[in-house]
Amino acid sequence: MSQQVTPEPIPEPPVEPTPESKRRLKKSSPITRWAKLLLKSKTGTVGLFIVLVVFIVGIFADQLAPFGVNEQNYANMLAPPSWAEGGTSEHFLGTDNLGRDILSRIIYGTTISLLVGIFSVVVAGVLGMAAGLFSGYYGGWLDTITMRLVDAFLSIPNILFILVILSVLNPGILTLIFAIGVTNWVIYARLIRGEVLSVKEREYVKAAKSIGTKNMTIIRRHILPNVFSTFIVISTLSVATTIILEASLSFLGMGVQPPDVSWGYMLADGRDYLATNWWLATFPGLAITITVLGIIFLGDWLRDVLDPRSQGR
Amino acid sequence: MKDENQLLNVSNLQTHFFTENGTVPSVDGVSFQVNKGELVAIVGESGSGKSVTSLSIMGLVEDPGKIVGGDIMFEDKNLATYTNKQMRKIRGNDIAMIFQEPLTSLNPVFTIGNQLREAILQHQNVDKATAKKMSIDMLTQVGIPRADKVYNSFPHSLSGGMRQRVMIAMSLSCNPKLLIADEPTTALDVTIQAQILELMKDLVKKMDTAIILITHDLGVVAELVDRVIVMYAGQVVEQSDVFTLFKDPKHPYTKGLLDSTPKIQDLNEELISIKGTVPTPANMPEGCRFHPRCPHAMDHCISHEPQLETMENGREVRCWLFDEEVMEHERQKSGNEGTPQK
Amino acid sequence: MKRFLIQRLLQLIPVLIIMTFIVFSLVYVAGDPVALMLPEEASPEDVARVQESLGLNEPFYVQYGIFLTNAVQGDFGQSYRYNQDAMSIVLERVPATMELAIASMIFATIIAIPMGIWSATRRNTFIDLFITGSSVLGKAMPNFWLGIMFILILAVNTQIFPVSGRGTFMHVVLPAITLGTAVAAEMTRLTRSNMIEILQQDYVRTAKAKGVSNGIVTYKHSFRNALIPVVTIMALQTSTLVGGAIVTEQVFAWPGIGQLLVQAVNARDMAIVQAAVFLIALLVIFINFIADVLYRLLDPRIKY
Ligand SMILES: Nc1ncnc2c1ncn2[C@@H]1O[C@H](COP(=O)(O)OP(=O)(O)O)[C@@H](O)[C@H]1O
Ligand code: SF4
Ligand SMILES: [Mg+2]
Repeated sequence: MSQQVTPEPIPEPPVEPTPESKRRLKKSSPITRWAKLLLKSKTGTVGLFIVLVVFIVGIFADQLAPFGVNEQNYANMLAPPSWAEGGTSEHFLGTDNLGRDILSRIIYGTTISLLVGIFSVVVAGVLGMAAGLFSGYYGGWLDTITMRLVDAFLSIPNILFILVILSVLNPGILTLIFAIGVTNWVIYARLIRGEVLSVKEREYVKAAKSIGTKNMTIIRRHILPNVFSTFIVISTLSVATTIILEASLSFLGMGVQPPDVSWGYMLADGRDYLATNWWLATFPGLAITITVLGIIFLGDWLRDVLDPRSQGR
Repeated sequence: MKDENQLLNVSNLQTHFFTENGTVPSVDGVSFQVNKGELVAIVGESGSGKSVTSLSIMGLVEDPGKIVGGDIMFEDKNLATYTNKQMRKIRGNDIAMIFQEPLTSLNPVFTIGNQLREAILQHQNVDKATAKKMSIDMLTQVGIPRADKVYNSFPHSLSGGMRQRVMIAMSLSCNPKLLIADEPTTALDVTIQAQILELMKDLVKKMDTAIILITHDLGVVAELVDRVIVMYAGQVVEQSDVFTLFKDPKHPYTKGLLDSTPKIQDLNEELISIKGTVPTPANMPEGCRFHPRCPHAMDHCISHEPQLETMENGREVRCWLFDEEVMEHERQKSGNEGTPQK
Repeated sequence: MKRFLIQRLLQLIPVLIIMTFIVFSLVYVAGDPVALMLPEEASPEDVARVQESLGLNEPFYVQYGIFLTNAVQGDFGQSYRYNQDAMSIVLERVPATMELAIASMIFATIIAIPMGIWSATRRNTFIDLFITGSSVLGKAMPNFWLGIMFILILAVNTQIFPVSGRGTFMHVVLPAITLGTAVAAEMTRLTRSNMIEILQQDYVRTAKAKGVSNGIVTYKHSFRNALIPVVTIMALQTSTLVGGAIVTEQVFAWPGIGQLLVQAVNARDMAIVQAAVFLIALLVIFINFIADVLYRLLDPRIKY
């Protein structure tokens, strides 16, 4: 058989024709484009809505809560929710064993959850980003040591490290942020390092290096923007896991301590009244579930938008 | 009317994909026949609907695709109306299929033997030991050395050409009446292509199996098949026996395909290829689907869709150039412009 | 295979060293454990004597060396609360935790794999939506809350299951479901996405072209391939499982390592904390090792 020349290049045409709508979206500004993509995804919209509400509640807790966080109403201890049988109208979700308003405590708990969730992710993010950037960018022994450390952290459940830290430091919000932060940095370090290694090999980075641009400038100008989207997605989803982690630790009595309030701590309290007063343990858990659900929805949507490779996974 | 010799009669087949972005009519009124033991080629550029046509015959069109019209008469059964369960008795047994990608068409986690005997055990009433013997025999027939060793090995240990031989062995293991080979050699290198095609031809002749060979490469078919069906944009545009087609192509698209295939007798002629690309179903041109790329396009072609017309000795062409009335009209309108140059 | 095994085992050494180093240095930083070990009225001489005997006056690296040598022999010192060898107290709790972990893994697998396959083969139908929705919910619910809700509905209100403790089969049901839910959620999601990817593979089409039944296409040709990544995921889930077990044991008063560890952390019983952390870490590392080997056995493409 002779050498064949095919009439047309072989590549199959794209299976689905590029939709007209997507092409139109590309022309508009990034914010309108995101907004449109967001509204297209139902879960993304729901997620954003929940997260916005949670933030507003967390920030304006003082204004929104009908009662003080530890304000006790001795006349109304263990009152059922206002809409349930035997409830009092002033306590929408009822009161606990000390007569404290559950709704108010959940509202105050939002602030704590967000504080711990966001700041421990910030600590982990900053540490991990620094470790990932430097070890990926400079390589050598720094990289070897960092990666060994990352391997060790990844092969052991982080709850163990957190428990060890919590057993030597005094419990409280700051300890919690520190403990979660210094154990979760590895996730960032590994991902950022991988990204840096691939970005490093690109022509424009090599070119920048060859004309003597300072290393810090290269990192800031060429590497940071490239890892930014991955960073945002992991961080968002990390806030969700951290909120659960904080609640779990507080539930175990090692996290947030009174007089501060935490959803997990409320649950531990409510557990003792399960047989007689179901509302104590039910609502804080619902608050956690809804918040986490919102963040997961938002995070998944962000991942789809920022990283088209992962679409539909 | 029905020919005793006829094995497959596809008439007015329509297979559409219902995607989020609208309906994609990938196969739009395709008709052709295949006789018992006949070697037929379907030729056309990528995206013209060849694979979807063959998957429709096999009943393997994936969601969101669906056969929405037409008949697929295989012997006296209309496969277009068959359920998946009914089709399972046909697939691999009466009609077998070989795919383009030998590297990915075999399951990486099962041995060659396991996958080969699966079809035999499915369709023939034999025990495992017999199925094994038959499989090894089949492997030997497709020219695989040390077949009993290959029987127990995993696909990743074989080369692309060897894997395609395994696919051929697998497809012919139940002695099918029809074999559909969808670009079986496109992914292989040139020397191996020729061997594989030769092998397929020998085997089907010996077994009296009819074959539909799908390719985008007219050069491949000349020495191999009896008849050629040319597809463009989801339709058949020309159908003829291979000898006449090469000697006297009628449709401008067929001519374009032939011109872009090098021939030994006219090496001095310049190699021409057809300008432009196959239209996507989303932006299908009005009138003749080929008109934006056709060197002979007339005003009439832009707004009127030609039909597949039967000409002398059973060949068929879809082109206004062969419609006397239209041509007469065109001649009157604009002198000699637009006349076909034969 | 032998070379792989040896290599993989050698890789574990730095991990173990770093792990023990971190645990040790934290405890070192935490300061003097003697104050907790001796009664309040102990004389300074007593304190000095105990410090001496524990090697607490040596420099950091010597102490770490001693710690490591002892750790290898399973010696983490005495628990001041139990006045017993810490490791033996921890080991006593292993069967309970194992029972819970295995039961929840069985529950998760039984639920997740069929659900994942089901939703993958019925993509974008109501079933698929329902299953994916449930799996997101399973991930969002904190398992201690789930456990408490189970207790509320199934133990307190209807009294089908016991509220807490260990013993009969009925005792393990609620804790296992509580602990298994998060794992099941993640496993469902991953089985589904693996299956979706594999159902589009050429070899699945080849299998269909042979005319074999849907069952063979789904369970033999597709699932076997989808299983390979699922094994890795199951191993990765041991982390979720450990974290979950610690909380679940607390909710159901399940007498396992998790409960012991929580009590030890709250009471600053460092010997037990160290012994438990070391043992759990060792188990997790071991499970991951097994998964790695299994992965290789399942995928014939990987050569040695
Ligand atoms: N799953 C699918 N969804 C949407 N469109 C499809 C799908 N499969 C094939 N098509 C469309 O059908 C047309 C014909 O495809 P195909 O039969 O594969 O062409 P060929 O085999 O001739 O290269 C193409 O335009 C392609 O975009
Ligand atoms: S109908 Fe007209 S446009 Fe179409 S192929 Fe014939 S001449 Fe060309
Ligand atoms: Mg094709």
